Amino acid sequence: MKGRVFLILIIVFFGFSCRNSKSKTSEFVFPQSDSVPVSEAEKLSPEAIADISKNISSPVEIANLLQTLQVPFSQNYIAESIDANRQSTSFDKALKLGILGADLGYLNMYEKTGSSLDVLSSIRKIAEDIKVGQFFDFESIKRLSKNRSNLDSLLFISIDSYNKIDSYLRSNDRGQLSALMIIGVWIEGQYLATQVVSQFPDKRLSDRIGEQKIILNDLLLLISPYCKRDPEFISLCKDMQNIKDKYRDIRITYTQGDPVSVEKDGGLTIKQTETSVVTMSKEQLNGVIEITKNIRDRLISNN
Amino acid sequence: MKKIFITLTILLAFGFLSFGQVSDPLISKCAINAGASAKYLKDFRIQLGKATSQNELRYKANMSLWKNTKYRFTMCNAENSKGQLILTIKDEANKLILSSFDKKTGKIFSFVDFECQKSGIYQISYDFTNGQQGSGVGVVSMIK
Repeated sequence: MKGRVFLILIIVFFGFSCRNSKSKTSEFVFPQSDSVPVSEAEKLSPEAIADISKNISSPVEIANLLQTLQVPFSQNYIAESIDANRQSTSFDKALKLGILGADLGYLNMYEKTGSSLDVLSSIRKIAEDIKVGQFFDFESIKRLSKNRSNLDSLLFISIDSYNKIDSYLRSNDRGQLSALMIIGVWIEGQYLATQVVSQFPDKRLSDRIGEQKIILNDLLLLISPYCKRDPEFISLCKDMQNIKDKYRDIRITYTQGDPVSVEKDGGLTIKQTETSVVTMSKEQLNGVIEITKNIRDRLISNN
Repeated sequence: MKKIFITLTILLAFGFLSFGQVSDPLISKCAINAGASAKYLKDFRIQLGKATSQNELRYKANMSLWKNTKYRFTMCNAENSKGQLILTIKDEANKLILSSFDKKTGKIFSFVDFECQKSGIYQISYDFTNGQQGSGVGVVSMIK
Protein backbone atom coordinates (compact mmCIF):
# COMPACT_ATOMS: atom_id res chain seq x y z
CA MET A 1 0.00 0.00 0.00
CA LYS A 2 2.81 2.32 1.06
CA GLY A 3 4.60 1.48 -2.17
CA ARG A 4 1.52 2.36 -4.26
CA VAL A 5 1.07 5.72 -2.55
CA PHE A 6 4.73 6.45 -3.16
CA LEU A 7 4.35 5.50 -6.84
CA ILE A 8 1.28 7.74 -7.22
CA LEU A 9 3.15 10.60 -5.56
CA ILE A 10 6.03 10.16 -7.99
CA ILE A 11 3.64 10.13 -10.97
CA VAL A 12 1.82 13.22 -9.69
CA PHE A 13 5.13 14.97 -9.04
CA PHE A 14 6.45 14.24 -12.53
CA GLY A 15 3.10 15.14 -14.01
CA PHE A 16 3.37 18.60 -12.49
CA SER A 17 7.06 18.84 -13.38
CA CYS A 18 6.27 18.23 -17.03
CA ARG A 19 3.54 20.85 -16.95
CA ASN A 20 5.95 23.33 -15.42
CA SER A 21 8.56 22.58 -18.02
CA LYS A 22 6.15 23.99 -20.60
CA SER A 23 7.14 27.42 -19.41
CA LYS A 24 10.54 26.84 -21.00
CA THR A 25 9.03 26.39 -24.43
CA SER A 26 5.65 27.55 -25.64
CA GLU A 27 3.82 27.42 -28.93
CA PHE A 28 1.88 29.87 -31.04
CA VAL A 29 -1.59 28.59 -31.87
CA PHE A 30 -4.46 30.08 -33.84
CA PRO A 31 -7.54 30.97 -31.80
CA GLN A 32 -9.80 27.90 -31.56
CA SER A 33 -12.51 28.78 -34.07
CA ASP A 34 -11.78 28.23 -37.73
CA SER A 35 -12.88 31.67 -38.77
CA VAL A 36 -12.99 35.00 -37.02
CA PRO A 37 -16.58 35.78 -35.98
CA VAL A 38 -17.85 38.96 -37.58
CA SER A 39 -19.11 40.20 -34.20
CA GLU A 40 -15.58 39.95 -32.78
CA ALA A 41 -14.13 41.95 -35.65
CA GLU A 42 -16.89 44.55 -35.42
CA LYS A 43 -16.05 45.12 -31.78
CA LEU A 44 -12.55 46.29 -32.67
CA SER A 45 -11.91 49.89 -31.76
CA PRO A 46 -10.42 52.27 -34.36
CA GLU A 47 -7.20 52.21 -32.29
CA ALA A 48 -7.10 48.41 -32.41
CA ILE A 49 -7.59 48.47 -36.18
CA ALA A 50 -4.83 51.08 -36.51
CA ASP A 51 -2.61 48.81 -34.42
CA ILE A 52 -3.33 45.81 -36.64
CA SER A 53 -2.50 47.78 -39.75
CA LYS A 54 0.84 48.73 -38.17
CA ASN A 55 1.54 45.10 -37.28
CA ILE A 56 1.58 43.81 -40.78
CA SER A 57 5.06 42.92 -41.90
CA SER A 58 6.46 45.63 -44.13
CA PRO A 59 7.53 44.53 -47.62
CA VAL A 60 10.61 46.65 -46.96
CA GLU A 61 11.56 44.18 -44.21
CA ILE A 62 11.14 41.25 -46.61
CA ALA A 63 13.24 43.07 -49.24
CA ASN A 64 15.85 43.82 -46.56
CA LEU A 65 16.03 40.12 -45.71
CA LEU A 66 16.44 39.27 -49.41
CA GLN A 67 19.33 41.71 -49.64
CA THR A 68 20.93 40.24 -46.53
CA LEU A 69 20.70 36.83 -48.20
CA GLN A 70 22.27 38.37 -51.32
CA VAL A 71 19.30 37.40 -53.46
CA PRO A 72 19.59 39.23 -56.78
CA PHE A 73 16.80 41.56 -57.88
CA SER A 74 14.29 40.18 -60.34
CA GLN A 75 11.80 42.19 -62.36
CA ASN A 76 9.73 38.99 -62.70
CA TYR A 77 8.38 39.42 -59.18
CA ILE A 78 6.78 42.77 -59.97
CA ALA A 79 3.06 42.85 -60.80
CA GLU A 80 3.68 44.39 -64.20
CA SER A 81 0.41 43.19 -65.63
CA ILE A 82 -1.58 45.63 -63.51
CA ASP A 83 -3.03 48.27 -65.80
CA ALA A 84 -4.03 51.27 -63.69
CA ASN A 85 -6.52 52.36 -66.36
CA ARG A 86 -8.43 49.09 -66.29
CA GLN A 87 -9.36 48.87 -62.61
CA SER A 88 -13.11 49.20 -62.55
CA THR A 89 -14.22 48.85 -58.93
CA SER A 90 -13.00 50.45 -55.71
CA PHE A 91 -12.25 46.92 -54.54
CA ASP A 92 -9.83 46.36 -57.41
CA LYS A 93 -8.26 49.79 -57.02
CA ALA A 94 -7.60 49.53 -53.29
CA LEU A 95 -6.22 46.00 -53.55
CA LYS A 96 -3.93 46.98 -56.45
CA LEU A 97 -2.79 50.06 -54.55
CA GLY A 98 -1.54 47.71 -51.83
CA ILE A 99 0.10 45.29 -54.28
CA LEU A 100 1.88 48.13 -56.11
CA GLY A 101 2.94 49.65 -52.77
CA ALA A 102 4.72 46.42 -51.86
CA ASP A 103 6.38 46.39 -55.29
CA LEU A 104 7.48 49.99 -54.77
CA GLY A 105 9.09 49.02 -51.46
CA TYR A 106 10.95 46.15 -53.17
CA LEU A 107 12.11 48.38 -56.05
CA ASN A 108 13.19 51.15 -53.68
CA MET A 109 15.24 48.79 -51.55
CA TYR A 110 17.05 47.51 -54.64
CA GLU A 111 17.32 51.09 -55.98
CA LYS A 112 15.66 50.20 -59.27
CA THR A 113 14.66 53.72 -60.13
CA GLY A 114 13.56 53.22 -63.73
CA SER A 115 11.01 50.54 -62.85
CA SER A 116 9.88 52.34 -59.73
CA LEU A 117 8.83 55.34 -61.84
CA ASP A 118 6.49 53.09 -63.85
CA VAL A 119 5.00 51.65 -60.67
CA LEU A 120 4.72 55.17 -59.25
CA SER A 121 2.66 56.41 -62.15
CA SER A 122 0.26 53.46 -61.73
CA ILE A 123 0.01 54.20 -58.00
CA ARG A 124 -0.70 57.85 -58.76
CA LYS A 125 -3.52 57.01 -61.17
CA ILE A 126 -5.18 54.51 -58.82
CA ALA A 127 -4.75 56.74 -55.75
CA GLU A 128 -6.37 59.65 -57.58
CA ASP A 129 -9.22 57.38 -58.72
CA ILE A 130 -10.13 56.56 -55.14
CA LYS A 131 -9.62 60.20 -54.08
CA VAL A 132 -6.52 59.70 -51.93
CA GLY A 133 -3.96 61.08 -54.39
CA GLN A 134 -3.45 64.15 -52.19
CA PHE A 135 -1.68 62.01 -49.57
CA PHE A 136 0.88 60.60 -51.94
CA ASP A 137 3.87 62.86 -52.38
CA PHE A 138 4.58 61.77 -55.96
CA GLU A 139 6.91 64.57 -56.92
CA SER A 140 9.22 64.05 -53.92
CA ILE A 141 9.20 60.27 -54.37
CA LYS A 142 9.95 60.68 -58.06
CA ARG A 143 12.80 63.09 -57.37
CA LEU A 144 14.26 60.92 -54.61
CA SER A 145 13.93 57.80 -56.78
CA LYS A 146 16.23 59.45 -59.29
CA ASN A 147 18.74 60.27 -56.58
CA ARG A 148 20.09 57.01 -55.24
CA SER A 149 21.83 58.53 -52.22
CA ASN A 150 18.57 59.16 -50.37
CA LEU A 151 17.18 55.70 -49.80
CA ASP A 152 16.12 56.45 -46.22
CA SER A 153 14.22 59.58 -47.23
CA LEU A 154 12.63 57.70 -50.10
CA LEU A 155 11.51 54.88 -47.82
CA PHE A 156 10.19 57.40 -45.33
CA ILE A 157 8.12 59.41 -47.81
CA SER A 158 6.76 56.28 -49.53
CA ILE A 159 5.78 54.55 -46.27
CA ASP A 160 4.45 57.79 -44.78
CA SER A 161 2.26 58.37 -47.85
CA TYR A 162 0.72 54.91 -47.48
CA ASN A 163 0.20 55.43 -43.75
CA LYS A 164 -1.61 58.71 -44.44
CA ILE A 165 -3.85 57.06 -47.04
CA ASP A 166 -4.61 54.22 -44.65
CA SER A 167 -5.44 56.56 -41.79
CA TYR A 168 -7.60 58.81 -44.03
CA LEU A 169 -9.61 55.89 -45.39
CA ARG A 170 -10.26 54.52 -41.92
CA SER A 171 -11.36 57.85 -40.50
CA ASN A 172 -13.69 58.50 -43.46
CA ASP A 173 -15.83 55.38 -43.24
CA ARG A 174 -13.90 53.69 -46.02
CA GLY A 175 -12.28 51.11 -43.75
CA GLN A 176 -12.99 48.39 -46.31
CA LEU A 177 -10.59 50.08 -48.76
CA SER A 178 -7.94 50.42 -46.05
CA ALA A 179 -8.31 46.70 -45.26
CA LEU A 180 -7.97 45.84 -48.95
CA MET A 181 -4.87 47.96 -49.32
CA ILE A 182 -3.22 46.27 -46.33
CA ILE A 183 -4.17 42.80 -47.60
CA GLY A 184 -2.73 43.75 -50.99
CA VAL A 185 0.56 44.81 -49.43
CA TRP A 186 0.74 41.60 -47.44
CA ILE A 187 -0.13 39.25 -50.32
CA GLU A 188 2.47 40.84 -52.58
CA GLY A 189 5.14 40.70 -49.84
CA GLN A 190 4.23 37.07 -49.27
CA TYR A 191 4.37 36.40 -53.02
CA LEU A 192 7.83 37.95 -53.20
CA ALA A 193 9.13 35.87 -50.30
CA THR A 194 7.58 32.60 -51.54
CA GLN A 195 8.78 33.06 -55.12
CA VAL A 196 12.31 33.80 -53.94
CA VAL A 197 12.43 30.85 -51.54
CA SER A 198 11.39 28.46 -54.32
CA GLN A 199 14.35 29.65 -56.37
CA PHE A 200 16.84 30.29 -53.56
CA PRO A 201 15.97 27.95 -50.70
CA ASP A 202 17.08 29.43 -47.39
CA LYS A 203 16.08 28.59 -43.83
CA ARG A 204 15.86 32.23 -42.71
CA LEU A 205 13.52 33.06 -45.55
CA SER A 206 11.33 29.97 -45.15
CA ASP A 207 11.16 30.74 -41.41
CA ARG A 208 9.95 34.27 -42.19
CA ILE A 209 7.25 32.78 -44.42
CA GLY A 210 6.23 30.35 -41.68
CA GLU A 211 6.20 33.14 -39.09
CA GLN A 212 3.49 34.95 -41.03
CA LYS A 213 1.15 32.64 -39.11
CA ILE A 214 1.57 35.11 -36.24
CA ILE A 215 -0.23 37.92 -38.07
CA LEU A 216 -2.65 35.94 -40.25
CA ASN A 217 -5.41 36.07 -37.69
CA ASP A 218 -5.04 39.85 -37.45
CA LEU A 219 -5.41 40.10 -41.22
CA LEU A 220 -8.58 38.06 -41.05
CA LEU A 221 -9.86 40.25 -38.22
CA LEU A 222 -9.27 43.28 -40.38
CA ILE A 223 -11.27 41.98 -43.33
CA SER A 224 -13.98 40.05 -41.46
CA PRO A 225 -16.50 42.90 -41.10
CA TYR A 226 -16.71 43.11 -44.90
CA CYS A 227 -16.77 39.40 -45.72
CA LYS A 228 -20.47 39.40 -46.65
CA ARG A 229 -20.41 42.76 -48.40
CA ASP A 230 -20.30 41.61 -52.04
CA PRO A 231 -19.00 38.73 -54.20
CA GLU A 232 -15.51 40.26 -54.44
CA PHE A 233 -15.12 40.38 -50.66
CA ILE A 234 -16.66 36.92 -50.25
CA SER A 235 -14.06 35.55 -52.64
CA LEU A 236 -11.13 37.37 -50.98
CA CYS A 237 -12.20 36.24 -47.50
CA LYS A 238 -12.33 32.67 -48.79
CA ASP A 239 -8.82 33.09 -50.22
CA MET A 240 -7.49 34.38 -46.90
CA GLN A 241 -9.18 31.53 -45.06
CA ASN A 242 -7.58 29.06 -47.47
CA ILE A 243 -4.15 30.57 -46.77
CA LYS A 244 -4.84 30.26 -43.05
CA ASP A 245 -5.74 26.59 -43.53
CA LYS A 246 -2.35 25.98 -45.16
CA TYR A 247 -0.71 27.40 -42.04
CA ARG A 248 -2.74 25.38 -39.57
CA ASP A 249 -0.16 22.63 -39.00
CA ILE A 250 2.95 24.81 -39.29
CA ARG A 251 4.33 25.07 -35.77
CA ILE A 252 5.95 28.06 -34.12
CA THR A 253 7.51 27.32 -30.76
CA TYR A 254 9.44 29.59 -28.45
CA THR A 255 12.48 28.92 -26.31
CA GLN A 256 12.92 31.06 -23.23
CA GLY A 257 15.87 33.22 -22.26
CA ASP A 258 16.71 36.61 -20.85
CA PRO A 259 17.85 39.51 -23.02
CA VAL A 260 21.49 40.51 -22.81
CA SER A 261 22.35 44.20 -22.85
CA VAL A 262 25.64 45.76 -23.92
CA GLU A 263 26.56 49.42 -23.66
CA LYS A 264 28.85 50.56 -26.44
CA ASP A 265 29.87 54.01 -27.71
CA GLY A 266 27.14 55.67 -25.68
CA GLY A 267 24.44 53.46 -27.15
CA LEU A 268 22.62 50.43 -25.80
CA THR A 269 22.33 47.13 -27.64
CA ILE A 270 19.92 44.45 -26.52
CA LYS A 271 20.44 40.95 -27.80
CA GLN A 272 17.49 38.65 -27.41
CA THR A 273 18.35 35.11 -26.34
CA GLU A 274 14.85 33.64 -26.46
CA THR A 275 14.00 32.47 -29.93
CA SER A 276 11.10 31.53 -32.14
CA VAL A 277 11.46 28.24 -33.96
CA VAL A 278 9.44 27.37 -37.05
CA THR A 279 8.71 23.73 -37.81
CA MET A 280 7.47 23.46 -41.36
CA SER A 281 7.83 20.52 -43.73
CA LYS A 282 8.76 20.93 -47.38
CA GLU A 283 5.21 19.94 -48.33
CA GLN A 284 3.77 22.60 -46.03
CA LEU A 285 6.06 25.24 -47.50
CA ASN A 286 5.17 24.14 -51.02
CA GLY A 287 1.49 24.39 -50.10
CA VAL A 288 1.98 28.01 -48.97
CA ILE A 289 4.03 28.84 -52.09
CA GLU A 290 1.38 27.36 -54.36
CA ILE A 291 -1.67 28.96 -52.77
CA THR A 292 0.04 32.36 -52.56
CA LYS A 293 0.96 32.26 -56.24
CA ASN A 294 -2.51 31.14 -57.31
CA ILE A 295 -4.29 33.84 -55.34
CA ARG A 296 -1.88 36.64 -56.19
CA ASP A 297 -1.81 35.79 -59.92
CA ARG A 298 -5.61 35.70 -60.01
CA LEU A 299 -5.84 39.02 -58.21
CA ILE A 300 -3.49 40.83 -60.56
CA SER A 301 -4.98 39.31 -63.69
CA ASN A 302 -8.42 40.55 -62.67
CA ASN A 303 -8.06 43.77 -64.61
CA MET B 1 40.12 67.83 -43.23
CA LYS B 2 38.51 70.69 -45.11
CA LYS B 3 37.25 68.23 -47.74
CA ILE B 4 35.69 66.01 -45.08
CA PHE B 5 34.01 69.03 -43.51
CA ILE B 6 32.58 70.19 -46.85
CA THR B 7 31.38 66.67 -47.71
CA LEU B 8 29.72 66.30 -44.32
CA THR B 9 28.05 69.70 -44.65
CA ILE B 10 26.69 68.82 -48.09
CA LEU B 11 25.46 65.41 -46.92
CA LEU B 12 23.77 66.87 -43.86
CA ALA B 13 22.22 69.70 -45.84
CA PHE B 14 20.93 67.26 -48.44
CA GLY B 15 19.60 64.97 -45.74
CA PHE B 16 17.69 67.82 -44.14
CA LEU B 17 16.40 68.97 -47.52
CA SER B 18 15.18 65.50 -48.40
CA PHE B 19 13.48 64.89 -45.09
CA GLY B 20 12.49 68.55 -44.98
CA GLN B 21 9.47 67.81 -47.18
CA VAL B 22 8.00 65.85 -44.33
CA SER B 23 5.39 67.88 -42.47
CA ASP B 24 6.92 67.31 -39.04
CA PRO B 25 10.54 68.57 -38.87
CA LEU B 26 11.13 66.61 -35.66
CA ILE B 27 10.63 63.38 -37.61
CA SER B 28 13.22 64.44 -40.18
CA LYS B 29 15.67 65.28 -37.41
CA CYS B 30 15.00 61.99 -35.67
CA ALA B 31 15.29 59.91 -38.84
CA ILE B 32 18.65 61.54 -39.55
CA ASN B 33 19.73 60.87 -35.95
CA ALA B 34 19.09 57.18 -36.55
CA GLY B 35 22.20 57.14 -38.75
CA ALA B 36 23.09 56.90 -42.40
CA SER B 37 22.87 53.10 -42.53
CA ALA B 38 19.47 52.95 -40.84
CA LYS B 39 16.47 52.20 -43.03
CA TYR B 40 13.27 53.87 -41.87
CA LEU B 41 10.33 51.64 -40.98
CA LYS B 42 7.88 53.51 -38.75
CA ASP B 43 7.46 56.52 -36.54
CA PHE B 44 5.37 57.25 -33.50
CA ARG B 45 4.35 60.82 -32.64
CA ILE B 46 3.99 61.20 -28.89
CA GLN B 47 2.35 64.15 -27.15
CA LEU B 48 1.54 63.77 -23.48
CA GLY B 49 0.49 66.04 -20.65
CA LYS B 50 1.71 65.69 -17.09
CA ALA B 51 0.86 62.29 -15.65
CA THR B 52 -1.29 61.96 -12.55
CA SER B 53 0.48 58.74 -11.57
CA GLN B 54 3.72 57.15 -12.73
CA ASN B 55 2.95 53.47 -12.84
CA GLU B 56 3.21 52.62 -16.50
CA LEU B 57 4.45 54.31 -19.65
CA ARG B 58 1.37 55.92 -21.16
CA TYR B 59 1.72 55.83 -24.97
CA LYS B 60 1.27 52.28 -26.19
CA ALA B 61 1.32 50.68 -29.62
CA ASN B 62 1.81 47.20 -30.99
CA MET B 63 4.33 46.33 -33.65
CA SER B 64 5.47 43.08 -35.23
CA LEU B 65 9.21 42.49 -34.94
CA TRP B 66 10.90 39.73 -36.87
CA LYS B 67 13.64 37.26 -36.06
CA ASN B 68 17.13 37.88 -37.49
CA THR B 69 16.45 41.59 -37.82
CA LYS B 70 18.34 44.33 -36.03
CA TYR B 71 16.12 47.27 -35.18
CA ARG B 72 17.12 50.74 -34.00
CA PHE B 73 14.68 52.66 -31.82
CA THR B 74 15.56 56.37 -31.82
CA MET B 75 13.91 58.85 -29.46
CA CYS B 76 13.80 62.60 -30.07
CA ASN B 77 12.30 65.36 -27.93
CA ALA B 78 10.66 68.58 -29.05
CA GLU B 79 12.25 71.71 -27.61
CA ASN B 80 9.32 72.51 -25.33
CA SER B 81 9.32 69.08 -23.65
CA LYS B 82 9.79 69.09 -19.90
CA GLY B 83 10.77 65.43 -19.73
CA GLN B 84 12.91 63.21 -21.95
CA LEU B 85 11.28 60.59 -24.14
CA ILE B 86 11.84 57.03 -22.93
CA LEU B 87 10.87 53.65 -24.36
CA THR B 88 10.13 50.15 -23.15
CA ILE B 89 9.35 47.06 -25.19
CA LYS B 90 7.44 44.09 -23.82
CA ASP B 91 6.64 40.79 -25.50
CA GLU B 92 3.22 39.17 -25.73
CA ALA B 93 3.71 37.57 -22.32
CA ASN B 94 4.23 41.08 -20.92
CA LYS B 95 7.89 40.35 -20.25
CA LEU B 96 10.14 43.39 -20.36
CA ILE B 97 12.56 43.04 -23.27
CA LEU B 98 14.25 46.42 -23.20
CA SER B 99 14.15 49.86 -21.68
CA SER B 100 15.95 53.00 -22.84
CA PHE B 101 15.95 54.20 -19.24
CA ASP B 102 18.19 52.67 -16.57
CA LYS B 103 16.32 53.09 -13.28
CA LYS B 104 19.41 52.32 -11.18
CA THR B 105 21.73 54.87 -12.74
CA GLY B 106 19.16 57.26 -14.18
CA LYS B 107 20.89 57.01 -17.55
CA ILE B 108 18.75 57.64 -20.61
CA PHE B 109 19.74 56.34 -24.03
CA SER B 110 18.66 58.33 -27.06
CA PHE B 111 18.66 55.17 -29.14
CA VAL B 112 18.55 51.45 -28.46
CA ASP B 113 19.51 48.68 -30.89
CA PHE B 114 17.55 45.47 -30.61
CA GLU B 115 18.71 42.19 -32.13
CA CYS B 116 15.41 40.36 -32.47
CA GLN B 117 15.51 36.56 -32.28
CA LYS B 118 11.85 35.90 -31.59
CA SER B 119 9.27 36.92 -34.16
CA GLY B 120 6.08 38.22 -32.66
CA ILE B 121 3.90 41.17 -31.81
CA TYR B 122 5.51 43.41 -29.23
CA GLN B 123 4.12 46.23 -27.14
CA ILE B 124 6.06 49.44 -27.63
CA SER B 125 5.51 52.02 -24.85
CA TYR B 126 6.72 55.59 -24.65
CA ASP B 127 6.52 58.28 -21.99
CA PHE B 128 8.49 61.23 -20.73
CA THR B 129 10.75 60.92 -17.69
CA ASN B 130 8.94 61.24 -14.36
CA GLY B 131 5.62 61.41 -16.21
CA GLN B 132 6.33 64.96 -17.27
CA GLN B 133 4.64 66.82 -20.08
CA GLY B 134 6.32 66.46 -23.43
CA SER B 135 6.25 66.07 -27.15
CA GLY B 136 8.51 63.82 -29.14
CA VAL B 137 9.02 61.28 -31.87
CA GLY B 138 10.09 57.65 -31.79
CA VAL B 139 11.53 56.32 -35.05
CA VAL B 140 11.97 52.63 -35.77
CA SER B 141 14.58 51.68 -38.38
CA MET B 142 16.42 48.60 -39.52
CA ILE B 143 20.19 48.48 -39.30
CA LYS B 144 22.83 46.02 -40.47
